[in-house]
Amino acid sequence: MYRRIILLATRNRSGISRIAEHSINITDQQETKRISVSTCPNRQRMLYNKGVCTPNKRPFSTSTAISKENEESSAPKTGVTEAKVKEKEPKKSGKENLLDLLSAMKIDVTTKKKFQALKSQKSKEQPRVHPESMESATSMFQKATTEQQAQKESLSPELVAAASAVASSMPLKKSQTESELLQQLRKHESDTEVHKKGETNNIGNIIADMKVGKHPNARSPNRPANQIRFDDDGRGYTHDRGVVNEFDAVRRRKSLFTGKRLNIFPSTTDTTETEPKEVSVPSLWDIELAGHIAAVIKHLPRNGFEEMIQWTKDGKLWQYPINNEAGLEEESDVPFHEHVFLDSHLEDFPKQGPVRHFMELVINGLSKNPYLTVKQKMEHIEWFREYFQQKEEVLKESEAY
Amino acid sequence: MAALMLSRVVKSGFEFLQTSFRTTSLAQRCTTGNVEQVRGYYVNWRMLRDVKRRQMAFEYANDRLRMNAIRKNTILPKELQEIADKEIAAFPRDSCPVRIRNRCVMTSRPRGVKRRWRLSRIVFRHLADHNQMSGIQRAMW
Repeated sequence: MYRRIILLATRNRSGISRIAEHSINITDQQETKRISVSTCPNRQRMLYNKGVCTPNKRPFSTSTAISKENEESSAPKTGVTEAKVKEKEPKKSGKENLLDLLSAMKIDVTTKKKFQALKSQKSKEQPRVHPESMESATSMFQKATTEQQAQKESLSPELVAAASAVASSMPLKKSQTESELLQQLRKHESDTEVHKKGETNNIGNIIADMKVGKHPNARSPNRPANQIRFDDDGRGYTHDRGVVNEFDAVRRRKSLFTGKRLNIFPSTTDTTETEPKEVSVPSLWDIELAGHIAAVIKHLPRNGFEEMIQWTKDGKLWQYPINNEAGLEEESDVPFHEHVFLDSHLEDFPKQGPVRHFMELVINGLSKNPYLTVKQKMEHIEWFREYFQQKEEVLKESEAY
Repeated sequence: MAALMLSRVVKSGFEFLQTSFRTTSLAQRCTTGNVEQVRGYYVNWRMLRDVKRRQMAFEYANDRLRMNAIRKNTILPKELQEIADKEIAAFPRDSCPVRIRNRCVMTSRPRGVKRRWRLSRIVFRHLADHNQMSGIQRAMW
């Protein structure tokens, strides 16, 4: 409790980096909500848990690592507070609970050391449930890949520095929070990579443990190849033989490019590419000629399948299986913090006043929007900047700028 | 190299033609490869006007969104909001999405159009009876 009062009271905006501030804000929200939970008796706790709304779903999940850590710390604490609050009546309104909370806070200050001793004891007894250790289907497959790959995946140094800044601003167990944060970030990176690759590794992980059964060449005939074969009925051919056997040797090769070179064709000589000729705007005659040539070369679709293929190439038909991010391949390379942390673009706007308030709301909304590209978000902000600069006089008259 | 240039030129050329004349790309080619331009057309002028309204609404969508964000606001001063009101009224009339009507794609019928298929009820029924609609069956229960 005492440590929470400190956090709530001293929110120093300038001292902490932006990312740390965000995460602190998140944890404050979580913590204030949990305060209301911890002081009410057992029966009421169920109702309060349902009533408490879930925190805003941010695209990055580092908050969950911190919040879970705090949750476990509050669990042993409830025992302490409940013992004190035993004499209160079971049914109360929220306001009365808050008053109880306030009164209970004073009591807890004196037992801070006792509580910490309790907590350290409990943490030693129960093994901590890390969010990473909870096995889900995808995490199991990813573990198989990550164990094979190098441990240190590439995280940008900025992210690492930000994580260490956040961890150092947390009051307790800095090294552990930092390692947890970094683990979360790495997991996030691996998630995005897996998604980018189109989850081609998953099957590999599934069958990694299976033994590869090389079935012996079932088609090899019982007799060796150079013996003469007799056809039984005098038909002139044997029934068993298929064309398959002759290509057996070819098929046994694993790939196309094994085997000795025959040196029949000369290897390609490097032709220096001539620089692209600068063509001025093509005239209509050129366009018409080009269209004519293209029409001659292009084959008309012979059936419905070819027609659909042509339409897919044109972009008129979707690509199956449906990819939700069909036009947005480049967008997946953009790191998440450029989508979410848009505060840095607000530098040209005034610091105080309704304009700033408005722009902060705009940025809040944009950061939660997963459907826009970063470029589109920037365009929105640019437009507002220009608009407010044009309307400066009007705003100054109404003392809003 | 030349083929790349060619394809780019062809693409840009055809786009240029299409955007300037607002035709559907129904250019047909006979077997010899000579392009016989069949004049593609929408079903009627009302359909064409609806198409123009859709294109214009797409162009002005972002601007309208931002202007409305300024107008529907309790934070910004009212003088600014009044000016924004006047500005948005000055946009072309066809730029507002409210004027778009979901017409039937085949017959341009403005009423009785099912949204999922973009077809009027008559065309839908016609195609369904001739087994042209995948997954559609006459209801009987």
